Amino acid sequence: MKLTILFGGASFEHEISIVSAITLKDKLSNFDLNFVFCDQDHTFYLVDAAKMKAVTFSKGEHKKMPQLSLANGAFVQKSMFGSTEHKGTVLNLIHGADGEDGTVAALLDFFSIKYIGPRVDASTFSYDKRYTKYLCDAINVKTVKYEVLNAGKHSNITIEYPLIVKPARLGSSIGVSIVKDESELDYALDCGFEYDKALLIEPFIEGVKEYNLAGYMANDKMHFSIVEEPQKEEFLDFEKKYMDFSRSEQVLKADISDELIAKLRANFERVYRGLFEGSLIRCDFFVVNDEVLLNEINPIPGSMANYLFEDFASSIEELSDSLPHSKRAKVTYEYIHSISSAKGK
Amino acid sequence: MAIKSIQYKQHTFDISYEIINPNEKVDIIILHGWGSNKGLMKQAFGSQMEGFRHIYIDLPGFGGSTCSVALESTDVARIVELFMIHINAAKDIILGHSFGGKIALILEPNVLVLVASAGIYIEKPLKIQAKIALTKVFNMFGLSKFRSLFIAEDAKKLSKPMYETFKNVVNEDFTTEFKNFNKKALLFWGKEDTATPLSSAEKITTLVKDSTLYTYEGDHFFFMKNAEDISTKIQSAFLSTLSH
Repeated sequence: MKLTILFGGASFEHEISIVSAITLKDKLSNFDLNFVFCDQDHTFYLVDAAKMKAVTFSKGEHKKMPQLSLANGAFVQKSMFGSTEHKGTVLNLIHGADGEDGTVAALLDFFSIKYIGPRVDASTFSYDKRYTKYLCDAINVKTVKYEVLNAGKHSNITIEYPLIVKPARLGSSIGVSIVKDESELDYALDCGFEYDKALLIEPFIEGVKEYNLAGYMANDKMHFSIVEEPQKEEFLDFEKKYMDFSRSEQVLKADISDELIAKLRANFERVYRGLFEGSLIRCDFFVVNDEVLLNEINPIPGSMANYLFEDFASSIEELSDSLPHSKRAKVTYEYIHSISSAKGK
Repeated sequence: MAIKSIQYKQHTFDISYEIINPNEKVDIIILHGWGSNKGLMKQAFGSQMEGFRHIYIDLPGFGGSTCSVALESTDVARIVELFMIHINAAKDIILGHSFGGKIALILEPNVLVLVASAGIYIEKPLKIQAKIALTKVFNMFGLSKFRSLFIAEDAKKLSKPMYETFKNVVNEDFTTEFKNFNKKALLFWGKEDTATPLSSAEKITTLVKDSTLYTYEGDHFFFMKNAEDISTKIQSAFLSTLSH
C-alpha cells in the first residue's frame, strides 16, 4: 500500500514527530512509503527513506533534499524539466501545533488530498483542553473537574492541593507540573505560562488508575486496540514519556474486567463518532471509584500507538480505505445566470 | 523552563528561567555571558551542587527573555534583583560568567563567583580603535550601512535595543565596585582566555579583599569541562562562610 508520512511541523513536539516517523518506517515496512518533512519554516521536503534518521534533521541535511509544494490532490516536486506529482493518501503525523490544531487538516482538505488524521473540527475539540471539557459535557462523558487560569489575570484557585497544572493547548507532558503545596505553585504556573496563555488546573488524584485505549472507525465499525495500563512513576514527564517512545514491543494488556473494558469502549465511541472519523486516536482515561473519566484525547498519538494494535499495518490499511470525503460545494452560477436572463442580457 | 514578567521603568521584561532542586534551602543564581543563555550554564552546572537550589536566568534580550529597550549593566542587575524578589530567592551565592559576572558583582551576594568575568576595562588594540573611529566617520556622513563591515562579532545580528545595550556595557570599568565589594569572592579563569584575559583576574584579586583565584587550562569557556572541580570549590567556600 502507498502512504505518505507527513511529519515535523512548527511545534514544541517537532522532534517527537521525527521519532514517530522513524518508528513507523519500521512498523509499516511492507508499505510503499514516502516521507514528507515539514520544517519549522513550513517548507516541505521529500526525504529519502534511507535518510530517515534523527540526525538528518538536527544537522539540517534535509535542506539539500527536494522541496515540495502543494497542488490539487498532490505534493509536487518541481525540477528543471517539469514536475513530479506525489499522489496518494497522507498520514498526518505532525504532533502538537500544525498537526493537531487543525492547520494541516485544513491545508490537506483545501487541496483535496486524502489523509489519515483528525479533521478541522475534531482538531479544535481535542487540541485545546478547555474545548475537550466542553465537548465531554455535551456528549455526556465525565472528566476531572477543572479551573482555567489566564496569563496576566489574577484569579484564585479553589481546587485543593495536590493539583496539576497544564497548558491548555499542548499535547504530551510539556509544561505540566504537579503541585503538592502552595510553595510550588508559583514556579508551576510560570512553567505552564511559558507555553500557553491559558492553563488548566485539575486536582491531582494520587494513585489513580489510568487506562489508554486507541481505536478508529472503518466500514462504519469501531475497531479498538487493547487497553493499556501505562506504568507511571508519579506521572510521566516529557523526557520519560518520550525517551522510550520508540518502544516497539507489544505492551501488556491491562488486567481489567470485561465490564470495565466495555465501559471504556463506550466512552471512547461517544467521543469518536461524528467527529473523529478518518483518524486513529488514543483516549487516556482515569478510573475513580468505578467511574470512567476522560483525561485527554490524542488525535495523533505518538508513533500512532502502534504498540497497542495486534496487526498495526492492517489497521492502517483498513482505516485508509474508509476515509471520509470532504464535500465541496458545486458552483453552478445558476443564480447569476437567472438574473442575467431576467435582465435580457 | 518558566517565564515571569517583570515590570521595570515602564517596560515589561519576560524573564525565562529554570529552577533545579526546588526544595533546597540555599540559593545559587547562575548568570550567563553576553550572547549566551541559561541552557549553556545549566549544561555545565545542572548536575552539580545538589545541596543548592539552582536558579538559571536568561538575562533580558537573551535566550527566552525579552528586552525592548537599551539597558545599562545596573538596569540588568536591577531586573535580576526584582525577579529574585518575585521568586523569593536569596543572595547566598551568585555565579556569573563574563558579562554575567558584572551583574553578579552589582548584586553583592554573600559569595560572589566570577567565572571569566568581565568588568575590567582593557585598552582596545589599535586596529579596533581605528575601526570604531572610521565607523563613526561613516555614520557622520550617513554611510551607516558600512557599519556591518566593522561591527564586532558579538554585536552582529543584534536588535537595536540590544546593540545599544552592547555599546553601553562593553566599555564599562568596575574597578571601584570591585574595590568596594567586601564579601567573599571566588575567581575561576581559563589561562588561554582572550576575551577576558587572566590579567583581569589578577587585577580583581588585588581589588577584592577576600578573593581566591583558581586557574584552569582552557579559554573563555574553560568551565564547561571543569564544572565539577569549580562546584566543589564553591561548596566548600560557602560552608566556610557559615562557620564565621
